[in-house]
Amino acid sequence: MSEQLRESLSALMDDEANELELQRLLKQVNEDSELRSTWVRYNAARSAMSGQEVSHMQLDISSRVREAIDGSPGEARSLRDRLFRPVASFAVAASVAATVVIGGQQLTQINGKDIYAPGAIAAGGVSPVGMVNSLGATTVQASYGAEAVPMLQPAARTAYKELARQRMQMYIQEHAEHAALNSPHGLIPFARVPEIRE
Amino acid sequence: MRYGTVSRLSILLLALLLSPLAQSSGCPDADPEALRWLDKMSRSVHQVSYHGVVTYQRGEADMQVMQVSHFVQGDRSSEKLTQLTGQGAQVVRVDHPLDCVHPGHKLLRMSEHIQGGYCGIAGHYRFSVTDGDRVAGRKTVRVLVSPRDMYRFGYVMDLDRKTGLLLKTTTIGRGNVVLEKFQFAELSFNKRMPDGIEIEVVHEAEHPVPGVSTEPTRLANGWRVRWVPSGFLATDTQPANAGRRTFTDGLAVFSVFVEELDREIRPGEGMVREGSTTSYSRGLSISGTPLLVTVVGEVPVNTARMVADSVDWVR
Repeated sequence: MSEQLRESLSALMDDEANELELQRLLKQVNEDSELRSTWVRYNAARSAMSGQEVSHMQLDISSRVREAIDGSPGEARSLRDRLFRPVASFAVAASVAATVVIGGQQLTQINGKDIYAPGAIAAGGVSPVGMVNSLGATTVQASYGAEAVPMLQPAARTAYKELARQRMQMYIQEHAEHAALNSPHGLIPFARVPEIRE
Repeated sequence: MRYGTVSRLSILLLALLLSPLAQSSGCPDADPEALRWLDKMSRSVHQVSYHGVVTYQRGEADMQVMQVSHFVQGDRSSEKLTQLTGQGAQVVRVDHPLDCVHPGHKLLRMSEHIQGGYCGIAGHYRFSVTDGDRVAGRKTVRVLVSPRDMYRFGYVMDLDRKTGLLLKTTTIGRGNVVLEKFQFAELSFNKRMPDGIEIEVVHEAEHPVPGVSTEPTRLANGWRVRWVPSGFLATDTQPANAGRRTFTDGLAVFSVFVEELDREIRPGEGMVREGSTTSYSRGLSISGTPLLVTVVGEVPVNTARMVADSVDWVR
């Protein structure tokens, strides 16, 4: 996966991808297994999916979304239009990032495959992203804040946010020690530590 | 948090993006003047004796006020940060050798070395120099710093014209939002140590010895980070099974913490942000071992996510 694709994917996850980046990702996703597996992992983490079923989660660049992108009169639009109306493409990007397909039968299978192992997705025989046969599969709109997602666990989300908050408290002083030595502010990074310990 | 100055900053940043790019041999659009100022800034924070009052603002929180002192004697420096608000803690560092230059500062002292296709920090940020505001009664030069990729924040840094000391930093996130601001309110270069402040807690700042790790090992197995944004270097030497790694590009710093868990964790992620500091936690399992990876640092959340995603065991 190239640095450029990595950056586009990162932007997509933050709902900041532009149309160009989205097109680049869609073009590459069928050929680049690392891109595919990274994309799936990011989605898995974001959606706080449970258990090993995650390894069977597949991304679907669903036809509806694809239509939304292709169907926009791209050719006819001027550069100015594209530059000054990025909002629409952000929305499309967000929905693509959040569209996941869970294979219905696969949900019940647990074979303990390690999704986080490098190349696990590529090696796991899962059909390529964007080529999902939606027969027997449930399309889940896992857009942030949407309630339509049975897998989405609000409790897990809250718990993770709380975890991140606690970890910030726990680690911020240790981080500040090194920021103080390696950024141009002298000891000032310690100002970010809410309670300095001896 | 948006300030009245934001629109002015955005005009400056826009002007910076659109300006014809200064040429430097082998490294197009590296501004040699800006690089000289960064170099001077990095040296002055260690080599100049000063004391002053610094304010720190972020979000809706109350402004924090602290006193900072830095004194050089012979080939060593001592420094002190004393909180005048809040907790009333003090952080001290004594006997820091002047020739002890940590990686973050090495990255800033590159003005002589930008050549032959090597761009150093200029490969990751665009710089430009203008007149700065008056800060703590001093005339300043302003270095505008805008990132070349989405993995770092932008900065507006006002440096003392005479000494190069960094007097004001505004950290700017996506959409020109001001994330945090440090600023000297008062500054003097005399050597009198201020006193009379009531201190509650004194913390002696840690100092890793280059090449030697004092870090306790926290994990049974060695781990590594397979990806960091280009330009980031490790700040110190760590055993492969230490609990922390820290990386810097000279301006931004982030740390990665890994905890082995004793039971399965539901895979997922969570994040919080305070000012420019992101804390991103990710629960996952690598080769059957459940882990919590946390990235804490002054970087955007996408950077934290991608770094956390690249954590792997050393095989």
